[in-house]
Amino acid sequence: MKRSGALVASIGVTALVLVGCSPGEGSTAVEVTVAPSGLPVQGETLTYDPNRLVNDGEVISLDWWLWDGDEVFQAFADAYTELHPNVEISIVNQPWDDYWTKLPLALRDGSGPALFNIHNSHHDNLIGYLEPYDLPLDALAADYLGVDAHLVDGQVHYLDYGLMTGLVYYNADMWARAGLTEDDHPATWDELREVAQRLTVRDGDRLTQAGFSFNSLFREFSLGLPYQEGQHLFAADMVTPDLDNPTMLSVVERFLDLYEVDQVGSKDFGPVADESFGQGQTAMIYTWGHFYGSLLEDYPDIDFGTFRTPVPDTGEEPYAYDRYNGESTTGINAGASAEEIAVAQDFVRFSLTHADLMRDLCLHYSVLPMYTALADDPAIAAHPVLSALGDVDRYIWPGPLPAAFESSVDVMWEDILYNGVEPAAALATAQQTVEREIAHDGFVSRENHYAAYPAER
Amino acid sequence: MIARKAGAVLLHATLLGLGLLTVAPFVWMALSAFKTNAEINSLDQTLLPREWTIENFVNLQETFDILRLFSNSVLLSVTITSIVVYTSALAGFVLVKYEFRGRTAIFAFVLGTMMIPWAVTIIPRYTMFVAVGLQDSYLSLVIPAALSGFGIFMMRQSMGAVPDEVLEAARLDGASETYVFHRIVLPMSVNAISALSIFQFLWVWEDYLWPYLMINSPEKQVLAVGLTTFSGRYGTDYGGLFAATTLSIIPVIVVYVIFQRRFVAGAASAAVKG
Repeated sequence: MKRSGALVASIGVTALVLVGCSPGEGSTAVEVTVAPSGLPVQGETLTYDPNRLVNDGEVISLDWWLWDGDEVFQAFADAYTELHPNVEISIVNQPWDDYWTKLPLALRDGSGPALFNIHNSHHDNLIGYLEPYDLPLDALAADYLGVDAHLVDGQVHYLDYGLMTGLVYYNADMWARAGLTEDDHPATWDELREVAQRLTVRDGDRLTQAGFSFNSLFREFSLGLPYQEGQHLFAADMVTPDLDNPTMLSVVERFLDLYEVDQVGSKDFGPVADESFGQGQTAMIYTWGHFYGSLLEDYPDIDFGTFRTPVPDTGEEPYAYDRYNGESTTGINAGASAEEIAVAQDFVRFSLTHADLMRDLCLHYSVLPMYTALADDPAIAAHPVLSALGDVDRYIWPGPLPAAFESSVDVMWEDILYNGVEPAAALATAQQTVEREIAHDGFVSRENHYAAYPAER
Repeated sequence: MIARKAGAVLLHATLLGLGLLTVAPFVWMALSAFKTNAEINSLDQTLLPREWTIENFVNLQETFDILRLFSNSVLLSVTITSIVVYTSALAGFVLVKYEFRGRTAIFAFVLGTMMIPWAVTIIPRYTMFVAVGLQDSYLSLVIPAALSGFGIFMMRQSMGAVPDEVLEAARLDGASETYVFHRIVLPMSVNAISALSIFQFLWVWEDYLWPYLMINSPEKQVLAVGLTTFSGRYGTDYGGLFAATTLSIIPVIVVYVIFQRRFVAGAASAAVKG
């Protein structure tokens, strides 16, 4: 009898837990009856006035899904819920790869979060579920760069808060040992070749320190540097890919010469250039801003410096220094309830006008801020990556490039380096592959939104 | 005699070598949990940490809430394993010891369920569970796992070895079918139950995609899903990942140690023709 009672009790407890009645974190939101008053209105052209009730002061909870940086995004949620204690924003951190499996499923089935972070490479999968921002577009465009490139049917569903692009990282100890100073930062590719030779160390015929390595980092420079000479990735129709051209070939040959002519590195020396740099084997690499975080986290013993991507000719402003990709602002779930959407809209407006939090976010991800209020910010200017990049308006965004571009360029380089394929032939193959793979994507490039885009093309 | 001894020595040496080869990655992972990320990523690798640190373990509860994730996984694994073992034993017993029309067809259907790839059913299943409001509830993890084709197959094969005469004798003594099943058949199938328990516990313990899809609340999430959050878009916190993974394999080892004596016998008994 006693055993039966214990069994029934244990089954009952287990059932309660299984149906989700486990003691979780209870809601911290409380009803508010009096609106805040006397608080400053924040923002520049686009403003946010906190002196009012949100959701009529009634308690409301929003879920916010993201895949990274929960502590920096939590600061936005905390600042907002401090102003509006009746709102609870629960951040759910997800693994990057599977986020893109779960999120579209959840949005489709109506169980998705009210707020979710976006990466523009998944634009096509998400755009149908996104609520347009309820913000005055002229004010938004006055405060944020690149808004027009994000217009879909005259509306903005998300935009870029920051710009990430490429630059050169160098090992400061190796730099000093080679007798180089900050005045020796190369401004041109020819100067970089010279510096790379000084940074290369050999033991007889054996390479012991690469002056420059680009192993496994092919896509970063191949799809960015042709812009320096005015070569776009798309034809004038903004639809046809244009990889197989003399400028792209010259970029490929320039990097190939570093290995084959100057011998400042090797395809067989450090198969992954950024790891090789972190492990103190390689003196210089070209990669994107996110590597700064990896250096601090994984390779804290490496003393490093940065400089802007060199250009072909001294003294000449290139058409664009490089390609960039934007880090996107938060999306709002069009399938959420009207109350959730209204609060989410308010939260987005609050986030876009909070300069301090936006600065912290940009510093965290080493991205140039698109918020014009931060254009001359001292903390941004002091950041090793961001200070190297220079003016934000000299970088071009081709749009959320289809993955076929990056994968085809990777294959092209592997064929050139490891399979003995001639660069021209490998380039032609990459062109054919990309054409075939994006033929039915309906992708339209945003290159023509670039300020310096030629009127006659 | 000498040849036989030499053969045994060779066999044991081979098995020892293969055992070490199998265990080496786990040893490396456990030792790496005591290294800094800088050392884990360094070119100059050593098995033992050059500088021992417990920072990765200390930070786990603060940044990862490992105790809650661990408890959730233990609760689910034990619950699902218990349910599966019982339902499998019950169905296996019926399918092997009772004569009725359609018995073979039902068993064939059970085997057929094992042939359908999991990936094919996951999206419609997800939609069904969301539609009935079971998302973010542990029932969504328990219900699909409650009946196991593999478990039924394994228990049916094992229970086929239980002599019919023993069951008939019990019935003649007035034992009910419930008594026969619980007091005679189950104790005689303990090896198969042990083997199935280990298999099922491991499957639930390491199940990732379904719990990830169905559970939204961080406080209800399971350990296998939690471990993936160490890998970000631009890099992986290897120290934290190794520390959490080292802790996460402890229950697996415990379960195996408890059941290992009966595991081999149970796995072998499933091969007996039913």
